[in-house]
Amino acid sequence: MLAIRTEQLTKYYGKARGILDVDLEVRTGEIFGFLGPNGAGKSTTIRLLLDLIRPTSGHAEVLGLDAHRDRLAIDRRVAYLPGDLSLYGDLTGAQTLHYLGNLRGGVDTTYRDELVRRLELDPSSRIRSMSRGNRQKVGLVAAFQGRPELLVLDEPTSGLDPFVQLEFERLADEARREGRTSFISSHMLPEVEHLCDRVGIIREGRLLAVESIATLKERALRRLEIEFASPVPPDAFRDVPGVRDLRVDDARLSCTVMGSLDALVKAAAGFEVRGIRTQDTSLEEIFLAYYGAGPEAPHAAA
Amino acid sequence: MLLRSVFTKTVRDLRWPTFWTALALFVGGGYFTLLYPTYATQFKLTELLDQLPAAMKALIGAQVADVSTATGFLNIELFPMILPAVLAGFAIALGSGATAGEESRGTIDVLLSYPVPRWLVVTQKAAAIVLSVVVVAAGLWVGAVLGAAASNSPLDSGRVAEALVMAALLALDFGSIALLLASGTGNRGLGIGVSVALLVVMYFVNALAPVISGLDSVKQASLFFWYLESNPIRHGISIGDSLVLAAVAIALFLASLVAFERRDLAA
Repeated sequence: MLAIRTEQLTKYYGKARGILDVDLEVRTGEIFGFLGPNGAGKSTTIRLLLDLIRPTSGHAEVLGLDAHRDRLAIDRRVAYLPGDLSLYGDLTGAQTLHYLGNLRGGVDTTYRDELVRRLELDPSSRIRSMSRGNRQKVGLVAAFQGRPELLVLDEPTSGLDPFVQLEFERLADEARREGRTSFISSHMLPEVEHLCDRVGIIREGRLLAVESIATLKERALRRLEIEFASPVPPDAFRDVPGVRDLRVDDARLSCTVMGSLDALVKAAAGFEVRGIRTQDTSLEEIFLAYYGAGPEAPHAAA
Repeated sequence: MLLRSVFTKTVRDLRWPTFWTALALFVGGGYFTLLYPTYATQFKLTELLDQLPAAMKALIGAQVADVSTATGFLNIELFPMILPAVLAGFAIALGSGATAGEESRGTIDVLLSYPVPRWLVVTQKAAAIVLSVVVVAAGLWVGAVLGAAASNSPLDSGRVAEALVMAALLALDFGSIALLLASGTGNRGLGIGVSVALLVVMYFVNALAPVISGLDSVKQASLFFWYLESNPIRHGISIGDSLVLAAVAIALFLASLVAFERRDLAA
């Protein structure tokens, strides 16, 4: 079963486009990263999934249920952390968690206390006087405390210090091991790349691509320099699979390799190798290399 | 603990505004009944009123009041204008803030991601507002009764209560107008502005209807007409008029549920 499925999901705000024809599938039990620059339509998509706004056209299903018609049944099983989180300023952190827990019909307070401890949240101060990072912690505890089947987290790591970020990743990973699903938006791939199973990128309201992190890593581009003991013939490397931007100057070869290095290494093995230097590119760069030029650019998996 | 439901949370949110407004009306009610004997003897109220021009008497509601008792004195001092203005203003402030307040503060996203239907959120908030308006109206009643007892003034506490029910219904009408506009648009200022404008216009339409012939034919469009027509503090509550006021409030409330249900909520 799919945790989230949208079909041609489209939202216009007046004449301004929110999102256009978004077809999205999030599998049960995975951590899905929803990536895109600010204003690309991430929050619009998420608020459509939660029935806070209604689509201009298209359709959304959450946990196999209709996002609008079955909203209550969905909300019993889903937790949501808004992107620009606002809580009740006059309540303390503890009161906020108590109130939101009650709206869910009561939660396991032992688990809540554990979350508060792990995120090092001081729940006794008022939301109004909390720093942005502490408010975000309250939001995270509120989202996790009911052990929902699906966590929809809009920019969950914004404002968090590195320690809390790490603890958040552990929590999301624990949820995954319990078979629960997380849908996490971010405008920074590095913040979520080691956490997510798959990522989708949205830009200017269109979903450009969905890839598994593993596939992206296979596509990893590496700058490579090989130094040989004596000059090598360029033709020996020209047709090696995955090799691009090949340059051979006497005994020095430089190129970019996409994916596996195996073929190139085997080709080089016919000569005496003095040294190899490589430089990895980040997934962010890969994504931008593939999809960076916007919706008009050719893309493999959109 | 007042954080069990949207209703109890709203009661909690409204506790101080409700307390202070109730206290103000408690003091107001007490003031007039406590000082009634002084006014009655020193200012010769009955003769004073008789000297006023008809238009002035209409504006302050004096043509229907009998100031020979503290009840009638309250009727002329508070019930035609000050009390409905305060109660309705209070209800407008609360009605416009019910859901639009959560929207402008940005908390609506969190609230409605929990398994509570939108209509139930509006209903629970409206119920808390009704409770607040009742408490505030009761503040005046308690003040008036204590003031009358202290000054040994003649006061028909039952009639005062009946008139307060009518005033509370009138206030809830204006609160519902504000609720409908604010929850239907997310714009709290629109809810307040239009409701207050209607409050002022409707007050003058009804108050001046006896002296301006053109207004007499449209006075039934004014909610103040239904509030004051039967002179409730003198003759008791009018079932028919109170039903009109209640029906208006209920219809506007139901319209708010529909309007809020259909909307895209502000991010």
